Amino acid sequence: MKTFSKLVWPYMAWITVFIVAPMLLILLYAFTKEGNSVLTLQFTLNNFTRFFSDSIFPSVMARSLKIALMTTLLCILFGYPAAYCISKLNDKQQALAILLVTLPMWINMLIRTYAWRGILSYFDFDSEIKVLIGMVYNFIPFMILQIHTSLSKMDQSLIAAAEDLGANKTQTFMRVIFPLSIPGVIAGITLVFLPAVSSFFIPKLLGGGDYVLIGNLIENYFVSTGDWNFGSAISLIMAVLIIFSMFLTKRIDHQIGEEKE
Amino acid sequence: MKKLIQFKNIIKEFDGNLVLKGIDLDIYENEFVTLLGPSGCGKTTLLRILGGFLEQTKGEIIFDGQEISKVPAYKREVNTVFQKYALFPHMNVYDNIAFGLKIKKQSKDVIEQKVNRMLSLIGLEGYGKRNVTLLSGGQQQRVAIARALVNEPSVLLLDEPLGALDKALRKEMQYELKRIQQEVGITFIFVTHDQEEALTMSDKIVVMKDGRIMQIGTPADIYNEPANEYVARFIGESNIIEGEMREDYKVFFDDRVYDCVDFGFKKNEPVDIMVRPEDLEIVERGKGTISGEVKSILFKGVHNEIIVQTVSGASKTVTMHVLQNHDLTNEEAGEKISANDFYMDLEDVANLSDAEVIARANAQAWDTDDELVSLSKVEYEVKEEPGVYPVTFKTSAGTAITVKITVLEPKFIEDQRKGVGITAFDFYKTADELKESIALDTDLCIWAKAEAWDLEDGSPIEIEDIIYDFDEETITEGDFPITFATKGREFKVHTTKSSEVGKKVDILFSPQDIHVMSKMGNL
Amino acid sequence: MKALKRKIGNGYILLMMLFFYLPIFYVMIFSFNESKSLTRFTGFSLVWYEKMFASRPIMEAVYYTIVIALIATAVSTVFGTITAIGLSKSRKILREVVLQINDIPMLNPEIVTAIGFMLLFTSMNIEKGFMTLLIAHIVFCIPYVILSVMPKLRQLDDNIAEAALDLGATPFQALTKVIIPQIMPGVVSGALIAFTMSFDDFIISFFTTGPGVNNIAIYVYSSIKRINPSINALSTIIVVVVTTVLVLVNVIPVIRDRKKGKNEKIS
Repeated sequence: MKTFSKLVWPYMAWITVFIVAPMLLILLYAFTKEGNSVLTLQFTLNNFTRFFSDSIFPSVMARSLKIALMTTLLCILFGYPAAYCISKLNDKQQALAILLVTLPMWINMLIRTYAWRGILSYFDFDSEIKVLIGMVYNFIPFMILQIHTSLSKMDQSLIAAAEDLGANKTQTFMRVIFPLSIPGVIAGITLVFLPAVSSFFIPKLLGGGDYVLIGNLIENYFVSTGDWNFGSAISLIMAVLIIFSMFLTKRIDHQIGEEKE
Repeated sequence: MKKLIQFKNIIKEFDGNLVLKGIDLDIYENEFVTLLGPSGCGKTTLLRILGGFLEQTKGEIIFDGQEISKVPAYKREVNTVFQKYALFPHMNVYDNIAFGLKIKKQSKDVIEQKVNRMLSLIGLEGYGKRNVTLLSGGQQQRVAIARALVNEPSVLLLDEPLGALDKALRKEMQYELKRIQQEVGITFIFVTHDQEEALTMSDKIVVMKDGRIMQIGTPADIYNEPANEYVARFIGESNIIEGEMREDYKVFFDDRVYDCVDFGFKKNEPVDIMVRPEDLEIVERGKGTISGEVKSILFKGVHNEIIVQTVSGASKTVTMHVLQNHDLTNEEAGEKISANDFYMDLEDVANLSDAEVIARANAQAWDTDDELVSLSKVEYEVKEEPGVYPVTFKTSAGTAITVKITVLEPKFIEDQRKGVGITAFDFYKTADELKESIALDTDLCIWAKAEAWDLEDGSPIEIEDIIYDFDEETITEGDFPITFATKGREFKVHTTKSSEVGKKVDILFSPQDIHVMSKMGNL
Repeated sequence: MKALKRKIGNGYILLMMLFFYLPIFYVMIFSFNESKSLTRFTGFSLVWYEKMFASRPIMEAVYYTIVIALIATAVSTVFGTITAIGLSKSRKILREVVLQINDIPMLNPEIVTAIGFMLLFTSMNIEKGFMTLLIAHIVFCIPYVILSVMPKLRQLDDNIAEAALDLGATPFQALTKVIIPQIMPGVVSGALIAFTMSFDDFIISFFTTGPGVNNIAIYVYSSIKRINPSINALSTIIVVVVTTVLVLVNVIPVIRDRKKGKNEKIS
């Protein structure tokens, strides 16, 4: 069997060059001065001090965080009932409903976002609402699918057991079904929050030029301004933000678990 | 005892399939009732209808004097222990047990008291804070029982609760369940497919098959007086023989009339007769009820299982012609070739193919390295009438051999009394082929084309015995008789004594060991 | 009571579906608009389809999207499957490390992965264009292939490769005749995921491509400043193609089963 394990070697070289190295490069750029000749590396924290000393950048970050949180919340609020209703259908209808939820996801996200421009131009919403609609539209299928999976995989005998022990429908839902579906909700949150906080084409397509999120900042510094060091620093800050949020979500998940005990 | 539950003509249909075909059953207070049957017999369906998880298509359930078909599961005074326990994975042991009480909004100290009492009943004191997913199978089982019992139901339903446990633990839990039932003094309805579980624990056993009740009775009733062949086969081991009831106390089978203790059948009614293996005894020739020959002895631990044949089966004897090796050598091509003469049935001539001829003649060609060479040509002309026809096999290098095909009228023996037909053909083989065979009995059947069938419906019957007295390792040319036989009447005897295979013995039993049952068709 | 609840539930699902398909239908309708307006339907015409097929940039974008997706799928399926087989037979620690790194492109925000590539290609002095785009696509497709093949390998009986070797197969034969046929469903679904990932990608493509090489998404993004109803026409065609393929994929097995059932009944 040792012969087969050699098959991993090419991929190890591949990921070192194409996955590990790029991440290290972002780190390197974030902590160095402009001008990227490898021989004259000048380490600095300027990129970070610049980010936090200017009032614009933190406020963009706060806005990104806010819109991502709102998107996530709306996705749970509208997605959970949808997933629950779908899980109550019979097998054939369920398969059809899931196919219908999945189908738009196969069409390019950019094209679907573009499609909203026409519709939203009828309404006099401000940019934030438009962006929010675009985000919920793009990301809610992930939430529905995750929650639906956790609901449909649920051991039906647990629900029968709760009813057997005297719980009515509401009590069964509150005490058994919902707590057991939380892992699905958490997985959904990860799949919604992460792309929402880093999104840059949804605000650009739907928000017009004046609505800037952290993703737009990164795009600007890489594509227009060409200040890759500062751009790298911003992405690093965003990455830290995301890791911290994910950590927080996991903690809340655990706390819910502990409270129940 | 008071009647607690009455099932009245319960019928359940799933997508056009009748799963329950009219169940009538009364269950009393404090009874340990077992629903016993193979999977698909409807036992779990009946339990789920009582639990309120399914609704019957027709029929009534009277519980404590009231019709409860429309009462939802959570309002019924029954609790269930589920097949795989269905413990809530997000709650610890204590919260699982407390679940039903919390739902009923009982006060905290009452809940604590009751849960702790349950924990000690199931022998898991101090396990309250444990994670249920980390408990062993047996412990999870106990928690599931406690979670149901804490609600003080008047009936506890158990759906194959021991199925997921290993054998030793299952034994232990059987005693444990019986103890708990006696201690709490409520009705247990237990579903299983394991006859041993049913016999050890129950006050009453309900044997089910295909959505119908076959028999209701105490374990002793069911074992000693099974209602029909199905129950007899399902519970314990048995010898079952078809026969006829001549008159009260007289039953006929295998050409003889025997005394028995059964009565009340019609004159000459066809019946099934059951004799338990442990009621039989092996004695010397002349001292028993039936004569026979010992066919096999199996050591089973507590006893030996001895098979005695009392009537032989249908048989057919053929001749095996053993030939010398007769390879032909083609020096030029450096090849050898061999093939056998063979016999065949007139009926098979129409379907003869090249591959079939090669296989039947066992035609082979090989080169100097012993590698097989393919046969490029098979020439034969066989008419659909008895006779001898030549067949020639050739390789592409021109090595050839010619052998004879003998076509015969089909000859088979029909044993009308046993209802069996049997056929087999003479055949040719070389001594080497006999030596090379790794499963000689199977090969002999194939070479002789030995087959047996039921005369009534034509279904195949296994050939049990292949009798010959040559030794394939030392065999030389000549003709050898081989007899193929079907299974005759065999009795299974459980005894602590031993015997010898081939010994002529008698089997001894008395009239009360014979149990006569109605035919299943009369149901 | 029950029926009412069910009705409310079904109504909600219907509303949700309306939300999902509203923009898609909107685009389809306006692709047949006579005028350039995205808000007023003035009359039916196929002018935007004509313009779309005549537009060189659009046709090029379609071409690049398909070519990149096909090559990236082929390469990443082969590479990913081989790696997954290797991983299943590797020491645990090596497997864990490789799988962790393998997860990075799936867990990272796409924009971070994208700028990582950009920095890598620049520091290696590789000019951005078709090759860089292709490499980037292969990099982010392989993890999905590995992810869908690994569970199939885990289900495989540990002794199955050994049985093949025991019966005289060389390691290569054991791989091609025994292991790969068994994990085929995983490989196929991995390839499908890889194809759609590559076909749909915008962010990584946007940062790794060079002048003159655009895929459909980049083309749409770069033309948002102007109103261009040709995009509606293109979107409509994509929607129709994707829907047809998905419906066929989901319906064909059902029809086949039904036919099989009929044949069995006859025989």
